[in-house]
Amino acid sequence: MTSKMTPETTPETTSRAMTPVAIIGSGQTNHAKERSDVSQPELVREAVDAALQDAEILPEDIDAVIFSNMELFEGRAFPELWVAEGAYGNGKPVFKVATGGTSGTSACIAGFHQAGSGIFDTVLVVGFEKHSEGHTQTGMALVDPFWDRSVASGALGNFALSISQYVSEYMAGRGVTEEHAAQVAVKARRNAANNPHAHLQMPDLTVDEVLASRMLAEPLHLLDMCPQSDGAAAIVVASRDTARKRGKAAAWVHGAATRHDQPYLGDLDRRLVTTRAQRSAAASAYAQAGITKPLRDLDVAEIYEPATYAELAWYEALGFCEDGQAGRLIDDGITQMDGELPVNPSGGVLSTNPVGASGVIRVVEASTQLLGRAERRQVDGARTALATGYGVYAWSDVIVLRSEMP
Amino acid sequence: MILESTIRLPFSYAAGTVGSRFLIALREDQKILGARCTSCSTVTAPPRPFCSSCSRTVTELVEVGPDGTLEAWTNQPGNGVFGLILLDGADTPIVHRILGTINPGTVNAEAINMTPGARVTAMFAKDRTGRITDIEGFIVEQDDP
Repeated sequence: MTSKMTPETTPETTSRAMTPVAIIGSGQTNHAKERSDVSQPELVREAVDAALQDAEILPEDIDAVIFSNMELFEGRAFPELWVAEGAYGNGKPVFKVATGGTSGTSACIAGFHQAGSGIFDTVLVVGFEKHSEGHTQTGMALVDPFWDRSVASGALGNFALSISQYVSEYMAGRGVTEEHAAQVAVKARRNAANNPHAHLQMPDLTVDEVLASRMLAEPLHLLDMCPQSDGAAAIVVASRDTARKRGKAAAWVHGAATRHDQPYLGDLDRRLVTTRAQRSAAASAYAQAGITKPLRDLDVAEIYEPATYAELAWYEALGFCEDGQAGRLIDDGITQMDGELPVNPSGGVLSTNPVGASGVIRVVEASTQLLGRAERRQVDGARTALATGYGVYAWSDVIVLRSEMP
Repeated sequence: MILESTIRLPFSYAAGTVGSRFLIALREDQKILGARCTSCSTVTAPPRPFCSSCSRTVTELVEVGPDGTLEAWTNQPGNGVFGLILLDGADTPIVHRILGTINPGTVNAEAINMTPGARVTAMFAKDRTGRITDIEGFIVEQDDP
């Protein structure tokens, strides 16, 4: 019944391990529906100061600044131009990385490569978004003008279509139900209640409430989807020598991979089922880090789940379980805070989504876990952490961090 | 203190060599074209200038549809029903509106009773302007016409 398959895997790319680098500090703002108390550069300054303070360094110790942000969402050209001063960027190399929702993790990986290559020694990576200042739906509707703009309803409609394929295939033989998705929604918002930075904190949310929430686009209820948030996040990446000389705890990068895939929804068959870009990125990052059994080898994961069903699909794409077992994983509590592999102790993108920052937040949260500084959302003894990014159906990033140097 | 502002954004996009042929065929002849890759034989519809499977440059256009098979759909309250339709002769589905079933003379969206694999057919606009909306949407074929 389904269309001709595009190849299940992307072509092999060279992915040799990079020279080790470390995240020596990180920070984030309090995220909310509206941070109208501050301007965009002021919002950025909050996250940057928190990261510099965490790293115990000064602005002049930063050699370069990399931004992540979604153009158009704030209705402002070259957003990095206007906010760079918030990151102490004047007089320094400053540029932006843009890969849709993946931008934050892609910017982090660009920072890893810069510090690892010796081009710069200490790199500041900053992601930010102020959805409240613009019109996100307009930005998202400015998709391909020939085919998608007039016949599909923005990101939500396209995403719902992709999920509809996933659900119909799974309902037919693989047992993922809307209750499984609702359990993901409940897990995220309850975890977020332990995260003082999170936007949506709903400690008492129930599966029934998720299923009763407004239908946005079948099968997606309102509470199946991520919110739009204002927020910023930052990490400080240092070369191996600099990180070692400090003699302080750090989160070391053991593996990192980015993948792009073609953009048209219909052209990549059963996109959310095959998830070939994410599988390819995971295979590369896991090989670099020596991860062979993710469920056993990882202690905590911060994954980019724009919708509940996406988290279930990622369980399989990231190798947390065999294909078709995602429902069992959530049923058995494996990914809960007290489970074998807690997924998104922060509450994830489902609880906080300033898009340009969301990927950076995954890395901030993963490294914070490894440093043991995650307070009420801390996973005890976490030594290996996963962070992922996902953007516009096309991009996938996978990062493996450890508390030990490679 | 909040500053209010509205921006108007007019653009003019070139449809390109392949896209232009698709849109002209749609407007002039009510025909739907796909692109057949001479390297791997994949037929994409709408036609892409570069094969979505192997990325080679595509030059051969073939007629597909107007009938097809519904692969997946979503009902978005207030916005309508959108589907992935595999047109006959194509290897990749097109994203488009699902209009419903035809009751004599009128489109009846309420009567949609869809299952994966349902047969659909394109409904063309009377006044065509060379846009993807020259296909108004797809009608679900009923078991008992």
